[in-house]
This record gives sequence, structure tokens and C-alpha cells, in this order.
Amino acid sequence: MTFYHLTQRLMDRREFIGITAAGLGALSLGLQDCNSPHSVAPSDWVNVGVIGVGGRGQHMIRMLLRVPGVRITGLCDIYEPRFAEGRKVTGEPTAVYTEYRKLLEARDIDAVLVATPLGLHAEHVIAALDSGRPVYGEKSLGRTVEDCNCIRDAVRRTGRIFQVGLQYHYAPWYQEALRRIGEGRIGKVTHIYACWHRNNSWRRPVPRGQETQLERLLNWRLYREWSGGLLAELGSHQINFANTAFGAMPESAIASGGIDYWKDGREIPDNMQVIFRYPGGRTLEASYITTNRLDGAQERIFGTGGSVVLTHTDATYFKEPSDPNSAVPPEIAIQHKLITGPTYSAEQPYHGKGESPISGEAEDADLLACREFIDCIRNKRRPKTDEQVGWTEGVTVALGNRALEEGRRIEFSEYLGAAASASQQPPERNTQS
Amino acid sequence: MQMDDAFRDGAGKRSADPRRHEAFPGPGGVNAPVAVADTLRARSHRAMGTEFAVYLDAADDAQAQACFDIVLDEIDRLELTFSRFHSSSELSRLNRHAAEGPVVTDPEVFQLLASALDVSEKTGGAFDITVGQLTRSWGFAERQPRIPEARELAAAREQVGWRNVKLDAAWRTVLFARPGLQLDLGAIAKGYAVDRAIEMLRSVGVSALVDAGSSSMAATGEAFVSGWKVSIASPVDRALTICEVELGKRALSTSGVREQSFVHDGRTYSHLLDPRDTDPLDSATGAQATARQVLQVTVLAPSSMLADALSTAMFVLGYEHGSAALAQFTDCSALWIYSGADGITCLGHRWPGDDFLSLNTATHGQT
Repeated sequence: MTFYHLTQRLMDRREFIGITAAGLGALSLGLQDCNSPHSVAPSDWVNVGVIGVGGRGQHMIRMLLRVPGVRITGLCDIYEPRFAEGRKVTGEPTAVYTEYRKLLEARDIDAVLVATPLGLHAEHVIAALDSGRPVYGEKSLGRTVEDCNCIRDAVRRTGRIFQVGLQYHYAPWYQEALRRIGEGRIGKVTHIYACWHRNNSWRRPVPRGQETQLERLLNWRLYREWSGGLLAELGSHQINFANTAFGAMPESAIASGGIDYWKDGREIPDNMQVIFRYPGGRTLEASYITTNRLDGAQERIFGTGGSVVLTHTDATYFKEPSDPNSAVPPEIAIQHKLITGPTYSAEQPYHGKGESPISGEAEDADLLACREFIDCIRNKRRPKTDEQVGWTEGVTVALGNRALEEGRRIEFSEYLGAAASASQQPPERNTQS
Repeated sequence: MQMDDAFRDGAGKRSADPRRHEAFPGPGGVNAPVAVADTLRARSHRAMGTEFAVYLDAADDAQAQACFDIVLDEIDRLELTFSRFHSSSELSRLNRHAAEGPVVTDPEVFQLLASALDVSEKTGGAFDITVGQLTRSWGFAERQPRIPEARELAAAREQVGWRNVKLDAAWRTVLFARPGLQLDLGAIAKGYAVDRAIEMLRSVGVSALVDAGSSSMAATGEAFVSGWKVSIASPVDRALTICEVELGKRALSTSGVREQSFVHDGRTYSHLLDPRDTDPLDSATGAQATARQVLQVTVLAPSSMLADALSTAMFVLGYEHGSAALAQFTDCSALWIYSGADGITCLGHRWPGDDFLSLNTATHGQT
């Protein structure tokens, strides 16, 4: 056997075998009935009011309207052009409000979607919960640890259904990855590398002649007052995955980054790297850049027996060549010993194909999350991404950002201690971040 | 006379600078309006199986960048909504489940489907979003065209027919009355994406022209709608201009054999199949080869979505039937370019101007 054949055989063994999609097919069972509105009883129709009708709000309206038995009955925004845009998305002359409390006073609203700037989540989510309605609150949960505490406490105080908008949590390929990780199928997971790399300015155009008045309103993501930056807007999904896979929150965070390319007056870093340390010496390394999209958005989960690469549409599994279960035949092992030299082929990056058990029946993650929200309302059950899931995600994001802002290693215990006491003694509601 | 000869005598217009065609990939090149020539910025983006190009006149680099970003993000969103290649797209969800029972969808998707079926109705089925299985049987979907066997074609036809798509506006549902039906929005979604891009740029007061793969384009802003001429290229030699047209407030779309076609036994078969055919050898594109054949159609319409769909329909229908069908659509024009034994023929219906009449070696007409 030549050296080439030896390495090829070793590579081939990296790919998982014997795993079928049968178990995953079950996940989609029961979905067929959920496409038609005819089977929805009139009492099960859910009227949703939307606070924040910008790009994300409009997208979520489209998704909600793909769930049978949902109607959008109120649109609230402080930027008037959003009303026409929102009505176009709802396809009807939906009632509009410039004051969210007026929307919450309306009698024809059963549930509320909050898709406002991050710094306003606490104010809007808590007011909506206090109005007695189920709430879908966009991620990240809150801009600061205090905001996150207040929202979590308000959910518990009011007893209302709350779902945080971590939609990938509902994606079957993410759930399957968590199941396999939990079963030890890729060994002990020690590291996760997550990136969300874009090549754009993250800036929205402001209508000509209104730059002064509208810049901070339309480009709120670029300013500290309202935004948690790339880590909140993009990283929250990946942080939620790491928290779930590790079954814990980080113990500490260090960060790097800055405003290094898009020097257009923004206050939020245009690139950021954070390393979170989890209990047991496990690590999440997260990278966000806005100048190259080769790597796109992905999470690479590294275990001692294999790896999984997650994207927004699929999951790919790889086996480690030295995994005990790979059962490398003795003759290969003997030949393997004969290889010598300064470079070792197995250290080269693996470029072969992995196994992707789900590819044909992927559903839009946002649609799955909306379906969950409506189903939880109808069946009075707790969403998978409840206030506690949101709290761990939101606090992790907030403290990751703090590590960059303060330029030091942040120990989570400093803040989680405060949070623990806060949960016993709810702090005064923080409505202005 | 050979077609090429028709242009060599100088009747046709050859672009002065061939590089323009690369920089401004319109159907035959686009001449930038003088008013914005110095501040014009361009960006291209691959999506929906084609190359989108955005030309705009922004106040500064930051605004230009922001405009490109939101427009290209929107185009990506629409690809993820309407693509049949993405299993998580809304179109894929409908294709998977609409034969099982009514599937509710959002107003944007519903409206696009309703518009598509409206064009089908008014063109007697010459435009048909269920033609996908037929396209696949001819190998056009995989870009490996071939003559299908009659049996294969008959089986594909069982899974085609826009009348089998049942829309219920009251419930906003989509139902396939026949199993195996698959929607393919390739001939309308690109146009819709151009409309959405223009709408976003108009809302922020930026003048722009958006172009999908040189075949669908629309403009916003006075300098672009009246100062920017689009030249319609010869389908046999892109460097030669048949005529020039200002977009005005209308959108333009061009369909032609150039995009995908093959020749078999002396006949040219195009990816623009006639969904109404029963026999491949009698297909409109095939039959026309014996006398004259549509090579290219350009349509001007109030929206890029409509122009996109109508250019396909007008190609399939040909001038005579197409003109009759077009009368049902407000403010729509079309220009057909035929080939035949005696050269090239241009026929217009409500076509603005008469520049193309100057092709003295080609026959021409206008209704």
C-alpha cells in the first residue's frame, strides 16, 4: 500500500457510517396538519400585535403569517414609513400605533411580538407581559445583565408565556447535533469555534436630507445606546448553542476587537473576537468580522471522537481518525508506524466529505420558532427557548461585550452573584438602558 | 442574406467601446446618464442563478455601501424564499405539502403566485409556473438539454398545468389539485427581486438601475429613468444593437434562445418551452424553425415582475398571438426579433420609438 492509499483509507474512516435519517424523519411527523388554516378552530386563532416593524419585525410577520390561524392586528413603530411597509407585509390595512402602550391597550391583540432595538427590549417586553399576553421577544434577551434579570423576573412574576427569538434552537439539525453530542457520539466536546463573517457595512441607508434626524433611529445597531453589536445581533444564536451543548454558562470571557475598517462614525466594533471559558476547561471561541465572508456563519464543534459543523441550513459530521471506535485495521497501523519525517499528514486540515444526515427536509428556522410560539399559546405550554434560556444567552452576550469594553478578563461570578440576589429581590425595572 | 450581413452594412449600431458591455451588462449595453457618470457606483452579486448588478448614484461612499448592502440582502432573502433549490425555502415547503392539502403562506408569496397565475390566464397558459417537470425532462434544468422520449414527456405533462394550482385568497392558501406538481418561479422571481430592490432604493431617495442577469431591469430617479438608454442587442451578435430604449418608469425584460438552447435536426429548441404542447416535434419553438423563429423578445411593463413573466409568455406565443394577449395588460409593450430564411425580422407592439425600423435589411412592423 502506498503512502497515498494509506492516507486515503485513514481519511475515509473519518466519515461516520451507520447513521440513518430515520430518527430525524420523526421530527417532521405531525407537521402535515399544521399547514392548513381550515382545521384551526375560531377560538384558536391568535391575533398578534407587533412592536417594532423594521426589517426583522417585517420578516417575522411573514413567518407568523405562514402559521395557520394567525393574524397580525396591530403594528407599532415610531418611524412612520414602517406603517406602509408593515401593511404591505400583512396584506391588509392593519391598525397602526406610534405608542406601544396604546397597542397594548387594544382589545383585539392576543399576543405580542417585540422586535425593537436591543436597548428597548426590557421596556417593551415587560410592558407586554404586564398586559397579560404571551410575548415573543427578539434576541438578545436584554442589552445589559440588569435588563436580562428584569425580563426573566417579569416572566416569572406574570406567569405569561415568553419565547426568546433564538430560532435555530428549533432547527432539526441543531436538535440532532445536540442529541448526538449528548450521547457522546463525537466524544467529549472540548472546544467550539463559532464565526459569523460578513462582508458588508452593517449600515442601512438613511433617506437623503434626513441624515441628522434619522441616523441613530435607522442605524441603531451601530450605536452603544441601543445595540449590543455583532455579539448580540449575530453571536447570540451561537452562544445559545454553546451554552446548551456545554450545559452551562461560561465562567469567564476575554475579548478583542475594534472599529478598524468601517470608520463611519459608528460606536460599535466592526470586528470582534471573544473567548469564553466554560466549566471543565471547555472553550467557545467566537469571531465576528464584516470584511470577508469566506467562512460565513457556522459553528464547528470539536469532540475527542469527532466533529460537527453546523450552518443555518445543515449539519455535517466528521469522525476523528484516532477515535477508538474507528477500529483502524492492524495492517494499516503497522504501516502507519513506518511513516516518518518532519511533517505528519494527519495534521493537515481535513477536506473530505462528512456525513450530512438532514438535507432534504430542512425547514426555515424562523418559521419553526413561530410555529412553536403559536403552539405554546394554544396548548398553554412553555417554549423551549423560555426566559431561562434567554437569560443565559443574554447575560453571556452582555458580559462578552463588557470584556471588550473594559479591556479585561471578566469573571462571570462577579455578575452572576448579583444576578442571583436580584432574582430573589427583583430590582427596579430598568426601562432606560 | 445571412443574419450577420444584415448588420455589417452599417445599418445596425456597433457599440463604440466593447468594454462597455462588460462594465454595464444590459441586453446589449447600457450608457450611463451624463448627469451621474462621475458619481456612479456599481456592484454585482450572484443570486437566483444569475448575476444581479446594481448601479446607483449615492451621496457618498457610506450611503452607497449601505444601499448595496440592503439591496443585496433583500435579493438573498428573496432567493431563500422563492428558490426551489433551497429545501428550507417557502417555495420548497409549498412544493412538499400543497398536494397533501391547502397550505397557508404569507401575503408576499401568495401575491406573487396570484400574479403568476393571472399571467397564465391571460396568455392562455403560455406562461406557466408548473412547467418545471417539463423543463427537467428536456434537461434544461440541469443545463444538459436533450430530446426526451415521448413516454417521459407524457409523464412530465401529467405533472404540469397552472390550472392545477388552486389559490384561495380568503384563506391565503395554496393547493395542488394534482400530485407531483412542482412550482418553479424562475421566470418571475428575478423580476420581483428587481422591483423590491428598486422600491427600497426609491424609499431612501437614491437614483439607481437594477439589473438581473442582463435580462430584467428597472430604474428609479429621474437621471436613470430618462437619461439612461438600454440597448437591445442582436440575439446573434451581442455587440450589435437592434435599438435603444429608455426605461422610463417602466421595467424591461428580455427572453431569448441565447440563454439556453440547442439544435437538433435543424431545429432550435429553447429552454422557454411551450407548456401547452402535446408533441415535442410540434412545439412552438420547433415548428417555427421551419419558417421563422422567435429568437428574442423584450417587454416593457409597469413592473419588472410582470415584464419578466410576459417576456417568457410573448416568446412562447410569438408576435401574432402575443400582441393579442398583450392587449389585456395595461401599459405593456413588446419587441419580437425573428429569424428566418431571409434574415431578421423585428416586430413591435406599442413599442416606443421606431429606431429599430432603421434596420433596412430586416423586415419590420409595428402594431
